[in-house]
Amino acid sequence: MSEGFERYERQYCELSSNLLKKCKSASLIDGERKKQKISEIKAGVDDAESLIRNMDLEARSLQPNIKAVLLAKLREYKSDLNNLKSEMKRLASSDLNQAARDELLEAGMADTLTVSADQRARLLTSTERLDKSSDRIRDSRKTMLETEDLGVSILQDLHQQRQSLLRADNTLHGVDDNISGSKKIVTNISRRMNRNKWIIGAVITVLVVAIVLILYFKLSK
Amino acid sequence: MGDQIARAEEFEKKAEKKLGGWGLFGSKHEDAADLFDKAANAYKLAKSWDQAGAVYVKLASCHLKLDSKHEAANAYADAAHCYKKTNIKESISCLEQSVNLFLEIGRLNMSARYYKEIAELYEQEQNLEQAIVYYERAADLFQSEDVNTTANQCRQKIAQFASQLEQYPKAIEIYEDIARQSLNNNLLKYGVKGHLLNAGICQLCKGDVVAINNALERYQELDPTFSGTREYRLLADLAAAIDDEDVAKFTDAVKEYDSMTQLDAWKTTLLLRVKEALKAKELEEDDLT
Repeated sequence: MSEGFERYERQYCELSSNLLKKCKSASLIDGERKKQKISEIKAGVDDAESLIRNMDLEARSLQPNIKAVLLAKLREYKSDLNNLKSEMKRLASSDLNQAARDELLEAGMADTLTVSADQRARLLTSTERLDKSSDRIRDSRKTMLETEDLGVSILQDLHQQRQSLLRADNTLHGVDDNISGSKKIVTNISRRMNRNKWIIGAVITVLVVAIVLILYFKLSK
Repeated sequence: MGDQIARAEEFEKKAEKKLGGWGLFGSKHEDAADLFDKAANAYKLAKSWDQAGAVYVKLASCHLKLDSKHEAANAYADAAHCYKKTNIKESISCLEQSVNLFLEIGRLNMSARYYKEIAELYEQEQNLEQAIVYYERAADLFQSEDVNTTANQCRQKIAQFASQLEQYPKAIEIYEDIARQSLNNNLLKYGVKGHLLNAGICQLCKGDVVAINNALERYQELDPTFSGTREYRLLADLAAAIDDEDVAKFTDAVKEYDSMTQLDAWKTTLLLRVKEALKAKELEEDDLT
């Protein structure tokens, strides 16, 4: 059963490598020939799609364990095909701009063509470009080191703040304990105050009663 | 702004009157203190710092009579902040009085912080020896309060000034100690190579080649990753240059390091000293031969 799958697989591999080659060559040429290549590639992509669909049907009709392996392969092929499609789209879109760009850059193009024909000049420009890129790399390394220093100082600040926060936490716990202690003391005070009030009230009542009794006895004599 | 000054003067006069006269219930000091506070605020708004400072000092003496040392210390601190903008000596003396009061109360944290401020003021005035003295006191207090990071910061400043004043062994010890302490801490371990570099530069200033190499080995042991860093390479190159008494090699190594990270003023000064010493030795050698 998997023979059919293998057949389709081989056809697909051939087709996809073909299409890749065509894409590469198409990006180098331009104009009418490019449009032709693009339509060829499009036809190839459609073929590849139908192959994949057949492979899918074949894979699903097989047993589960083989099916899993084949479906995994199939997913790879599908992503491959998507890549091809996006390549094709890119070529197509750049083709539309290409004509306008050609017109715009036509005047400049002629000069650079003559200059780059000279080998020594080409070597010079490439050396210059290499120098520029190494300069850029050095600058980025410098910036990275500065950032690292900044990071180190930020970490130190964080450490300091961590210590302050921990200390503040401890102090707050201390404050909490003190407040509960003072609450107890204040309750104590208010209780004693109440007790004193009652005692004084009682003493006054006793004295008043005593005075009333004495007066009563005195007057009734 | 003029009316602020007028208001402030009014408050001040009222406060003085309260102090001079006989207050009922003995609350005259508190009222006077209150009025002084308002007066000082008004002076601050009017930006006349000297007068504000003077009023804060009077406020502090009021609080002292009321026996509330904490308030007095705070008032002295406020006075010092006002004087900071105009008269630094007055500010320093106010801060000292405030620190003494805090020490009496036992608020070591605040006194340590104010010692640090005094030291910073001396630093601004470029009076490095006094700055060192105060930074040391601040570092001690911070250490006793277990606030290691700020203590380390103070000690770093001490080491910086000490090496500028050519007290190299002290500086080296401090830097190595700080590096050792920072190794254990996840947050601080990235700063270790900076500290080791500073210690290494101080070793170079001492000029003892054997000691330098020993020190480099010691740093290797402390921190295995140190040998991969540019700092280590710089120190090794400089040590080799001193060994060979080759000024050009020295300059090359310094230039290479500088092209990546700019050397700050302190490092530049110290490395310049080393270079001069090296040049002098070279000339000496030429004289002898």
